[in-house]
Amino acid sequence: MKTLESDLGKIVGAEKVKTDPEDLFSYSSDATHYFVWKNPDAVVLPESAEDVSKVVRYAFDNSIPVTPRGAGSGLSAGATPIKGGIVLDMKRMRRIIEVNRGNMTAKVEAGVVLSNFHRAVEKQGLFYPPDPQSMDVCTIGGNVATRAGGPCGVKYGTTGNYVLGLEVVLPDGQVINTGGICVKQSAGYDLSHLLTGSEGTLGVITKINLRILPLPKARKTVVVVCDSISLAARLVSEIIASGTTPAKLEYLHKGAIGLMNMFVLKPLPVAGEAYLLIELDGGSSQVEEEARQVDKVCKEMQALEVRVVEDAQEAQSYWNARKNLNPILMSIFKKMINEDVTVPRDRIPELIKAVQEISASVGVNIGMGGHAGDGNIHPVVLMMEVSKELDKKADQAIEKIIRKGLELGGTISGEHGIGLHKAKFLALETGAAQIELMKRVKAAFDPKGIMNPGKIWTDGGKA
Amino acid sequence: MRDLKKYQDQIAKCSFCEFCQATCPVYLEDLLETHVARARMNLISACLVENSLPVSKRFEEVVNRCLLCTNCVQACPARIPVDEMVVSARHKLYGGKRQGLVRRKLLRQFMEQRGFGSILGRAGAIAAGTGLFPEDFPKPAARPFSETQQGVIPAEGKKRARVAYFVGCATNAFYPGTAEDVIKVLSKNGIEVVVPEGVVCCGLPAIVEGDLETAAELARKNIDALSAQQVDAIVTDCTSCGRSLKTKFSKILPENDPALLKAIAIAEKTWEVTDYINQVGLADAPPAFSQKVTYHIPCHRGWSPAVANAPRSLLARIPGIQLVEMEFPEKCCGAGGTFFMEYKELSQGIRAKKVEDIVQTSAQILITQCPSCRSYLAPTLPDLKIMHPISLLARTYGI
Repeated sequence: MKTLESDLGKIVGAEKVKTDPEDLFSYSSDATHYFVWKNPDAVVLPESAEDVSKVVRYAFDNSIPVTPRGAGSGLSAGATPIKGGIVLDMKRMRRIIEVNRGNMTAKVEAGVVLSNFHRAVEKQGLFYPPDPQSMDVCTIGGNVATRAGGPCGVKYGTTGNYVLGLEVVLPDGQVINTGGICVKQSAGYDLSHLLTGSEGTLGVITKINLRILPLPKARKTVVVVCDSISLAARLVSEIIASGTTPAKLEYLHKGAIGLMNMFVLKPLPVAGEAYLLIELDGGSSQVEEEARQVDKVCKEMQALEVRVVEDAQEAQSYWNARKNLNPILMSIFKKMINEDVTVPRDRIPELIKAVQEISASVGVNIGMGGHAGDGNIHPVVLMMEVSKELDKKADQAIEKIIRKGLELGGTISGEHGIGLHKAKFLALETGAAQIELMKRVKAAFDPKGIMNPGKIWTDGGKA
Repeated sequence: MRDLKKYQDQIAKCSFCEFCQATCPVYLEDLLETHVARARMNLISACLVENSLPVSKRFEEVVNRCLLCTNCVQACPARIPVDEMVVSARHKLYGGKRQGLVRRKLLRQFMEQRGFGSILGRAGAIAAGTGLFPEDFPKPAARPFSETQQGVIPAEGKKRARVAYFVGCATNAFYPGTAEDVIKVLSKNGIEVVVPEGVVCCGLPAIVEGDLETAAELARKNIDALSAQQVDAIVTDCTSCGRSLKTKFSKILPENDPALLKAIAIAEKTWEVTDYINQVGLADAPPAFSQKVTYHIPCHRGWSPAVANAPRSLLARIPGIQLVEMEFPEKCCGAGGTFFMEYKELSQGIRAKKVEDIVQTSAQILITQCPSCRSYLAPTLPDLKIMHPISLLARTYGI
């Protein structure tokens, strides 16, 4: 590997190339570390699209796999170098190039950390809604590559809804600019949105043009305590059906509330079986009106308690606790398999019921919690011990959940992406014809199959 | 902290969420995942516990290129004690001999004398005069605090409490004025102050070196000196000393050490002095003091829930003070004790961001409880007065 190191050093400068075992070790996994652990042969830290282009061209000429990587906080093993080769750590490309108020757009480099971008636009009274819970570390490039989303998805959709154009380095080193910064575009195939969600399999995203919004003037958090899981589930679709669209509508089980109470200013009541954590945003009178509406719907349906949180700091503490929930769970359980099934919102009660039944019949512990308001309720297999037998059961349960989700008109992934983790289920959703078509697209972009090989399709999508 | 294996259960709690990237000052400069807690502690486990990777110079760099600021621990949803693992790794790698002999001797004397005592004092003064000290190293005071004050300082007016004042090395050697302010402010507020004899360094510099044996020796001396006092509380002006007293003594001492119970009793009584003053309340409302002040929160703030906020609460009691917050008041200044001497460029990079944030506030005064932060920030902020929050209170009293 000495040649690889010296070649890359010549191309981009030795300082941007790491090949020590300690560095390779540090780039071998992501937040699915129990699932995959494989060292790359080199880590490159590009600082410009030109750096990326030169490295990718070199990899193309020498048929070396390239895995682009943001924070490495992903939940689908998408940024792991399972075939070795070069990891491109994009986090040094972190300039916010432009915030264009007159056009309500922004241009950023792929390695910009999401919460830094949030702060930058919010300082100007602007708003970029996508809010994956890893926002303090995850990069916008990673978000685009996986179509990441978060609680705000209910009202504002996910990253893909904000992408207007991309600068992309193609596998042969060419740099292209897709789309643009216009809010209407109808020029040929929509390559921006083909590359959005392509998980690094078609090229390397280096810059992104994003749509931004004016910052809502008012926000209000509402906590709903329910005596049963089914009531909480029914409330989700009732609230949506009542014509109120909350910015965030999270479903949480009582176990999660116990953990979250360690973080919140005013502990939540623990009497309930299930909870809804809601944020309303908009003009102040609209928010007041919607809060009344939610209160009315929940009381009519006999929720145990509806708490409209008046104090902004207290409200923020609930959302901070929510942000920490997943990593806390991951630190309590030996192994945790995070599913990302998403169903139409009116089918949430059926999905929850089915998951409970699957949990009981297969004999594994499955928690549920998440963005119920957008149908993305995250069933999570929670394992106190790790064994082959339990792994097998977990696999069974996951397959059943996925099949049920699809039966309900859902999708196998709402916001995490396919990566390696869900590759074997993709055909269940799309069918063989679409997989073949996707592979032909892949071959058109990446004839040598160097870009993030081994992801999305079980056979690596080789042409 | 002596047995790295004991941290394996803690490492297993790492969910690889990578939230530590958000706050690690070293990572935010280097922008390399090898230099963030997730990789650092998993490498420690791989190289020193599981032996799946050999120990190398690069590994040592990963272990040493850490400020022990604990920002990763504070950001970690599982609160994994990464700093303790790094200390434990240094202990295992170097057995207390991370530095060369001369440096170790100097450090040892510094810790025992809490600065430059009689032997080093003259040498120190000469060195300062000839520019022998490294860049950004604070100049020692002509007379350390320990030479001017010992014993009991009575309370003014009605006595409300009696406290022991633990004066650490940095305050003793470089900022005796801060110690005098603390004593005056406490006394003015009806608190009798004992400055105990026999106190030595809190041990943090030894902990940083992974020299747990020396740290334990120092802890025992402090435990003896402090346990002998009949006091309501033990206060310190330094957040790092406070952290040692509150959370580290009991961890440094070997299991079943006879001093352990006393260490726990000391921990229970330990307060950062600003927090303590808030707790007992000011005897009289201070006079108005119109100044624009900003507050840098020291990294070693997690050892007691109110430490980080204490200066804000104190400032709120002084009429006329305008507190202008930085965008990131909790961001590290880059000093890390003596880290800035070994990793000059890295520390200066961290400091530059801090300074920019401070200057943005256009404050006239910067307050912070950590003497190391004060001395490291001072050369880059010539137009600002930099002081401990208690010194600010002393100025409002006109003392």
